[in-house]
Amino acid sequence: MEIATLFDFALDTVIFVVGVTAVLASLGVILCSSPIYSALYLIGHMICLALLFLLYNAEFLAVVQIIVYAGAVMILFLFIIALLGGKKEVQENTFHRAMAFGFVFILLGELYLSATVGPTQQIRGEIPAELFGTAKAIGLELFSKHIVAFELASGLLLVAAVGVICLAKFSFVPLRRRAR
Amino acid sequence: MGQEFVLLVSASIFCVGTVGFIIRKNPLIMFMSIELMLNSVNFLLVAYSSFLNSLDGQIFALFIITVAAAEVVVGLAIILTIFRTRHEMDVDHIDVLKG
Repeated sequence: MEIATLFDFALDTVIFVVGVTAVLASLGVILCSSPIYSALYLIGHMICLALLFLLYNAEFLAVVQIIVYAGAVMILFLFIIALLGGKKEVQENTFHRAMAFGFVFILLGELYLSATVGPTQQIRGEIPAELFGTAKAIGLELFSKHIVAFELASGLLLVAAVGVICLAKFSFVPLRRRAR
Repeated sequence: MGQEFVLLVSASIFCVGTVGFIIRKNPLIMFMSIELMLNSVNFLLVAYSSFLNSLDGQIFALFIITVAAAEVVVGLAIILTIFRTRHEMDVDHIDVLKG
């Protein structure tokens, strides 16, 4: 077998294994009864997705995924779980749960069909292969074509920070439970 | 790997996130399910940006990550405030606004 085809086969195998692991980890997130295990499965899922980003030529986004999601966001989740106490949740089998699974199987079929069936328009960019997905290419694109969106995103982050400070600092009077 | 595999993985993760959002009662795990859905869309954008040789998908994914981070911070602050006032975390019991 030639080296190129062997390399392609190995790449396909790695992508397949990492993709299946990502799906299994996402199943672990929703099936664990304790929130702390869900958070750990979610960290595994994020790392699998970062590997997939790397395999699809997005090295900058892979690093951003690790730092922002697996680092900052999940640490925040774990802090909140540690603060509130990870209580196990009692699940009872109800009609609504069965209905949810049915609904979602139909949704899965519809998503897959609508994505694979039907005409798609091919667009081709002109990014040189050695620059694709690097921080330099992303930065050039971000600060030329998408500069307004970038500034709006900075405004969004500022508003979120101010909102969180307002929520955390000023204590509210507890709402009285209504008599039932 | 072909486009069908990417579509299948992405749709599967999105649907798992939807199931988790519907069947769980803990607001933290509901938030994690929303993260799963956002991540599946990110994966699709990045994979297709590689297939089409255009960087727009990666820029879009970067903005989605930004918005998701802001959303998680505000949402967790709201959950914390609710827990401080109500001392419970079951979303079925938080129905003051029901009218």
